[in-house]
Amino acid sequence: MIIMVSVAFLNPLSVEAEQIVRDMGDLSKIYEQNPDLIHAVDTSKSQTISDNQSIPKNYYELAIKRMEWYIKKKNDKNYNYKDYAFLFNPEISKFDVVAFFILAQAIGIKFNPNSRESKLFVDLQGSIIEERLEELSISERRNICGKILDELIQHDNIKWTFLEEILSSKKLSLHELILDNGDIILDKEDFLERFRDKITHRNPERMYELLIGDPVKELIMIKMIMQKTEDYIKKVNEMSQKVEPHPYLLEVGEKISKILSDNLRYYTTYQGEMKGFRLNPEAFPPCIKLTLNGVQSGNRNDAIVLLLTSFLSYSRLYPSIFRDNVSVKVSDVDPDLKITQNEILPLIYEAAQRCNPPLFDDDPQEKLNITAKLGFGVHEQPELKNEGESKWYTPMSCDKIKIHLPALCKPDKTCKKIGNPLSYYKTKSWQLSQQRKNKEQKSYNNKNPNNNKSKTYKSGDRAENSDPTKSGDDDSIGSDSH
Amino acid sequence: MILLEVIPINEPATLQERRKYYREEWDVKKLPDFIKDHMEKREFGFDHLGKGPNDRYRIFRSLEYLKRFMRYKSPFAAYCSVAFYDKPFKRADWIKSELIFDVDAKDIPIRTCQCENVCEICLGEAKEIVSALIDTLKEDLGLKDIYIVYSGRGYHIRVLDETVMKMDSDIRAQILKYLVGSEVPRSEYSTKGDKYQLEHFSIPFGYPKVFTQRFKYAVLHLTPEIKLENISPALFKKVLNNKKYLLNNEWGLFRKNVGPINYKKLVKEISNLNMGLVDAKVSIDLKRILRLPTSLHSKVSMKCMEVKNIEKFDPFKEAVPKFVYERKD
Ligand code: SF4
Ligand SMILES: [Zn+2]
Repeated sequence: MIIMVSVAFLNPLSVEAEQIVRDMGDLSKIYEQNPDLIHAVDTSKSQTISDNQSIPKNYYELAIKRMEWYIKKKNDKNYNYKDYAFLFNPEISKFDVVAFFILAQAIGIKFNPNSRESKLFVDLQGSIIEERLEELSISERRNICGKILDELIQHDNIKWTFLEEILSSKKLSLHELILDNGDIILDKEDFLERFRDKITHRNPERMYELLIGDPVKELIMIKMIMQKTEDYIKKVNEMSQKVEPHPYLLEVGEKISKILSDNLRYYTTYQGEMKGFRLNPEAFPPCIKLTLNGVQSGNRNDAIVLLLTSFLSYSRLYPSIFRDNVSVKVSDVDPDLKITQNEILPLIYEAAQRCNPPLFDDDPQEKLNITAKLGFGVHEQPELKNEGESKWYTPMSCDKIKIHLPALCKPDKTCKKIGNPLSYYKTKSWQLSQQRKNKEQKSYNNKNPNNNKSKTYKSGDRAENSDPTKSGDDDSIGSDSH
Repeated sequence: MILLEVIPINEPATLQERRKYYREEWDVKKLPDFIKDHMEKREFGFDHLGKGPNDRYRIFRSLEYLKRFMRYKSPFAAYCSVAFYDKPFKRADWIKSELIFDVDAKDIPIRTCQCENVCEICLGEAKEIVSALIDTLKEDLGLKDIYIVYSGRGYHIRVLDETVMKMDSDIRAQILKYLVGSEVPRSEYSTKGDKYQLEHFSIPFGYPKVFTQRFKYAVLHLTPEIKLENISPALFKKVLNNKKYLLNNEWGLFRKNVGPINYKKLVKEISNLNMGLVDAKVSIDLKRILRLPTSLHSKVSMKCMEVKNIEKFDPFKEAVPKFVYERKD
């Protein structure tokens, strides 16, 4: 039997999906055994059925399975597609839509729109669409993508500015789009009309396929659905402040929270309790050492609020964030925020006051921004109840530092190998510990352990620090200069 | 140009000259409309002593106040924010910011003049670059509300289309990279599992076209005196010897003679250099202050002014304040 995939299978926020929810989305039934669902799962191609665990029997379990699939796929080496094959069976469409709404609402109610839980759910939706597309034939794929885009894009053309949020979140970059007069070119006829005369020595239709073909369209479609998912969570979150949420949804929210923190512990490099790592200032990159010494006005605010805050917090709490590629929050490693309060913030605040002029003297509100960059929203101090109101920012890349804070980037040998100050820190810490080991080995062999020069913080690294916004010959002046 | 040699332009303006300028020549009514409209929502900043603009957080509720202030203080330099605020005097409650591209003649990565500061040649090159950037802003990005200001050492492109004014730094950085051609263009495409080689110069639209134009500009402006960091002297020579092909858009020949692997290297190098066409810091800073059009750039004794027709604009004719002509040397 050939099943036509429905729009709702890929876009749970489509008109068709809305109808499904209206018909079947009775919250009181989410724990009720659903024979149709079980049947659909059982008969999915290549689905593992020996193990009863892998088969969801009601909406609630299906929703949880959806989450679990994504976490396993991302992190678990033993992830087995066959355990979740039902997720890619178009016959579960209707149930899947309901599960989507259960998750979206539970997350919107329990977590902030910027929390890692929300983010994970949006990513999950993108990823599930991608994989579902993979299962389709080329023509089916093209067909359904066309239909969905038609619904998403009501007018003939989308302006690139419409993708503002997508662009800013780096889910897509501007140069990957074909732009003409502000429009994103997606439609073939439109493409030919605009560019046919300019194309020489090549077949215009072929060029269309190569440049705008299905991949770009799919990408835009997926990104738009992800964006809609994000917006939906935001809406739920706002509403939940006014309306009392259904107790079942609160339960689902609890469960999601538990799954995520269990899995994080399980799949990351941490063993047992997470306590972070002692800081080793010797391994700090040049830009950080300069920042710690105090910065002149031109670079001051960004250096402290953006660079130093994220650098110190991650290198103290979670230096391998880039390798593990998970979303963490500060309290995962520092549950009572003791390390943050007693070690990290003092270092940041001291460096801030070492600046010229001292940061908080004329920009006291920057304290709030520092709190925000740690993931605790715009408040005077980090507090657990506010966590998730903002993102815990990872340190900006060297490329970005070179643009934002050129005076601070004084690359040394190690810098050549890395693209981010945090990676510098990891690399250098490792090198230093190797060196130390070698040294110990040697001195042991030499039986002459006399020359143990101190190897702590070198003061020779202190470099002078020039103010990029000097006299009135500049045509433009940064926002924080005085 | 003769004018430059006769008139001591690069001399800083004295306090007397500044007074003369603001009392006799400057006219508050000549402020461009895009500054006058909602001027009260912008932050103003001044440099009185030539030591940096440390008189900040100023606001002007009317042209009359600004006029009096300028006449009375005759500042060394005057600036206003690219941002509009509800509380500009606190730099708080940000509403939106112009999108800015700052092309400083002194910092253009490939300059044929090699001069120390700025000269007629590099200012001319800045003009060419500005025109090219504006074409892309209009043709590709569909932006329309665009102004050019001569800054005294280069040009500011100021975009006031409502659709971009609320955008954050990250998108602004992307727009910048698109405009200047600092992303290495794709050369491999695939459809239905098959891979195809397609160089940027065979694609006459979109980003590949922009990159093609910037690449051509860069190569055609290379001179033997210029050094490119990651290009060996041998390759550099090859590029110079073959640049004539680009004049006639014979890209295939150019690439073949340089060698495909070398060509890739060159593409990479030029896309890196292109980042320097515009001062990125200015474009991504939402709260920057920029030199005020009509004000005096005292360090070089030139007027900062709006440019209506960039093709015809000659700073050494139009941006020289009267007092310069009265100087005796
Ligand atoms: S290269 Fe990166 S790590 Fe090294 S000084 Fe520059 S910004 Fe810092
Ligand atoms: Zn010059």
